[in-house]
Amino acid sequence: MQSLLTAGRSVHLALGKRAFSSSARRWQAVPQEKPVLMKEFKIYRWNPDQPEKKPELQSYKIDLNQTGPMILDALIKIKNEIDPTLTFRRSCREGICGSCAMNIDGQNTLACLCRIDREGSKNTKIYPLPHMYVVKDLVPDMTLFYKQYKSIQPWLQNDNPPEKGEHLQSPEDRRKLDGMYECILCACCSTSCPSYWWSQDEYLGPATLMQAYRWIADSRDTQGAERKERLQNELSLYRCHTIFNCTRTCPKGLNPAAAIAKIKLELAVD
Amino acid sequence: MSSSLVLRSTFSRSLVHRLAARSVTHARYATSEATQFKYVPGGPIIQGTVNDPTTFPPPSRSHGSYHWSFERLLSAGLVPLTAAAFFTTGSNYPVIDGLLGVTLVMHSHIGFDSCLVDYLHPRKFPVLGKVATWTLRTATVATLVGLYQFNTNDIGLTELIARVWTA
Repeated sequence: MQSLLTAGRSVHLALGKRAFSSSARRWQAVPQEKPVLMKEFKIYRWNPDQPEKKPELQSYKIDLNQTGPMILDALIKIKNEIDPTLTFRRSCREGICGSCAMNIDGQNTLACLCRIDREGSKNTKIYPLPHMYVVKDLVPDMTLFYKQYKSIQPWLQNDNPPEKGEHLQSPEDRRKLDGMYECILCACCSTSCPSYWWSQDEYLGPATLMQAYRWIADSRDTQGAERKERLQNELSLYRCHTIFNCTRTCPKGLNPAAAIAKIKLELAVD
Repeated sequence: MSSSLVLRSTFSRSLVHRLAARSVTHARYATSEATQFKYVPGGPIIQGTVNDPTTFPPPSRSHGSYHWSFERLLSAGLVPLTAAAFFTTGSNYPVIDGLLGVTLVMHSHIGFDSCLVDYLHPRKFPVLGKVATWTLRTATVATLVGLYQFNTNDIGLTELIARVWTA
């Protein structure tokens, strides 16, 4: 091949004519310069080392055409290139760890699953999850949330385990857990619930209640009665007023409100 | 991060000790252990370590599922009662008239009580919460008494609404 090409070129040279073929460089498409698309991000800032300073929204402008498509990409770009003190949680960047839950343009969602609105004239406001104690910037204190999750004893309890091998379950029984086991406990739903805002210390919140029902509904679990009995009070479960903010906000598309409704029904017919 | 946590936990522990002594004289409410101390809006008081689960109040069906079922049945019952009131006159069917009045008042009482539990619970508002609860109870009883007087001595609820409607 190489020899053929050189042979051809030498023929052209010999004839003293210009070849039709142009250089490889000219065949390539001209790399298009992307236009600059600046967008303003207003991000909640609060530093525990300066407690006398009130929380504020800090403005950052970045070029969207030099950024990935998601809000998390923008946050990482800001932290890398503009302000390394910006603090937020992130881990998997694909919506399976639940770390980057925050309030973006008024909606609780995962920053890694939320596309940046490419309208450059509108700014995007980013706050931590509402009604949580803030550790720093976009990092909320999840201690109580995890303690509440632990209180429903989220593990399989069976006082009559099979002699050997694993617990067996019919496909129908397994299907009851679909839409509940996928929860990643990002707390988007709980922190969008007004009842959870007012009564966080006693009301368990949609995320924890859906996991409570996940274990009540599990055919392999034998402690369902005890699990239900614990919810028999004014505050733990019945502060749910079917507001549906949880279902609307869930970044995984789950339905905590339906799970809570099923608990209420099971308690009512119990 | 860790230093602030340590700070906070020592702060809360000292506060808890002080409040524990004070809370002995306080009345206990049917809430979990986490709230036997004074409600502090300014910061989280974590009971025990971060690994301890939160506790539940003692189970009570009358505050739980019975209350919920009663409330739902009452709401559902209001639908046929309201429809019936359209086709009857209060003076001819005093039982339906009275039933509608009592159901309405109970329905309203449960609704308002739910607001009080949400926003003015005694665990957060030891004085105002109790005042509000007893104000609501008084108002409900007064309304029931007034309704009884009105239904027995006057035209009755259904008739009143019909007259106001056409007035």
